[in-house]
Amino acid sequence: MRWSNFTFLVKKGVHSVWYNRLMSFASFCVLLVSLLLVGLSALAGANINVVLDYVEDRNEVLVFTDGDLLQTETAEISEALMSSVYTTRTGVNFYSKEEAWVDFKQENPDADLIYERMDFNPMPNTFIVTISDLTKISDAVRDFQQIDGVQKVSAPHDFAEFLIGIRNTLTIIGGAIILALVVVCLVIIYNSSRASVFARRQEINIMKYVGATNSFVKIPFFIEGLFIGILAGIASWGLTQVAYTSIISLFGNDVTLWRALDLANLIEFKRISWIVLAANCLAGSLLSGTGIIMSMGKHLKV
Amino acid sequence: MVELKNVEVFYKDSGVDALRDVNIRINDGEFVFIVGDSGAGKSTLLKLLTNELLPTKGRVFVNGYNLSKLKKSKVPKFRRSIGMVFQDFRLIPDMTVFENVAFVLRITDKAKKYIRQRVPYVLNLVRLADRAKSYPSQLSGGERQRVGIARAFATDPGIIIADEPTGNIDPRLSYEIVELLLDINKCGTTVIMVTHEHDLVQYFGGRVINLKDGEIFFDGSIPMGGKSDEME
Repeated sequence: MRWSNFTFLVKKGVHSVWYNRLMSFASFCVLLVSLLLVGLSALAGANINVVLDYVEDRNEVLVFTDGDLLQTETAEISEALMSSVYTTRTGVNFYSKEEAWVDFKQENPDADLIYERMDFNPMPNTFIVTISDLTKISDAVRDFQQIDGVQKVSAPHDFAEFLIGIRNTLTIIGGAIILALVVVCLVIIYNSSRASVFARRQEINIMKYVGATNSFVKIPFFIEGLFIGILAGIASWGLTQVAYTSIISLFGNDVTLWRALDLANLIEFKRISWIVLAANCLAGSLLSGTGIIMSMGKHLKV
Repeated sequence: MVELKNVEVFYKDSGVDALRDVNIRINDGEFVFIVGDSGAGKSTLLKLLTNELLPTKGRVFVNGYNLSKLKKSKVPKFRRSIGMVFQDFRLIPDMTVFENVAFVLRITDKAKKYIRQRVPYVLNLVRLADRAKSYPSQLSGGERQRVGIARAFATDPGIIIADEPTGNIDPRLSYEIVELLLDINKCGTTVIMVTHEHDLVQYFGGRVINLKDGEIFFDGSIPMGGKSDEME
């Protein structure tokens, strides 16, 4: 196809958006609401993941060593922990028996007399280990207990299971909600596209009668769909930004809640602004473009 | 050339025999009126000629294409070889007169320069050069039909098939439309015009094919301004 004829079809597609403005506006609104709902749900899901990640990262396993180990033996344990598949190199912190004893005495100042009469330090050397994957906590505990010089491993199994349960439930519920929204949106978009194409079936008929190939007929309709989709993508991006920042600022106003949930880690919109814009425009244009093309099927059989 | 050999069309859904053993041969450069009452088979015949419908039996040849065996992928190319004029004009509403005519040339991937020369030429032929920038909604019925004729003629097709081209316009202008089609015919283009307006056919005369209950009742020439019993 010649470039001039292709650009004509592109121009026709864009022009048709305005010419059929009522149907275009209806498609635009449907897309806008759909993208807004799916976008906000996806952002909520992402934030829940961030909060869960943060809570999980603070979940620590305590590895107590035998009473009197040499410095080299302690270093060997440290190396063994760091090279474990269940940890990361930065997730292993040494908490010496001296530090532990000082902290213990500070936390329990009423027992001063007992401390004075004790001529030894009863606290063990401890490694505070952050597990990289919370679901593997039992395997990690088993692995750490095999290390020479390790006396005991203490892990919050119940808390870990609780967190895993929350994540799994939220993943399933969140996934189902997003999937349902996507399906509902696809059905609505498909129907609005069908209505739009039905209103212009005669135009398609004419093109076919005068010898246009299916692809020649589809190009301007596809361009029209892309254009509406991009416009809806941009508009939904703006609305998502307003809605999202408003919701985040609601949390921000309640300092206690903020601190309790550690919501300082919530995703800032400006960090993901371009991603949201690109995703909205891409999803909007593809949904709209393909929706129109799919709706044209039976009208092309002339 | 158009040729129908022993053509039969049977609509299974309604159980109607729309065409029965129809044999027609229309040579290049002819002007033919196809007449008949409602349900006579005129529309079915047109659908056969535009490959909208396949015959139940027999063979249909148009412009060298055997439509009974035409692959789907070849249909657009075949349709570009004929020009269609419709009763309801079928102009694309969001395109100007110029764009409507140019559209068929774009389909055949003609160069911009050629389109700029050809479209004014055909618009001039149908005396609509001054309405090139108008939209179909801004034209009268007669003008719209002239755009339809310009569009059909733009690609210089071998055949123009006109389906009741005067059906939706002022009777006074009907003669003008047929004269326009006759002018195009004089350029060597075969014209097949379907109509139910007997007065018009009798006025212009020429070859007439009269369909009745799916069969050819009459196929012959009548004189200009004349009358034929077979026409009734």
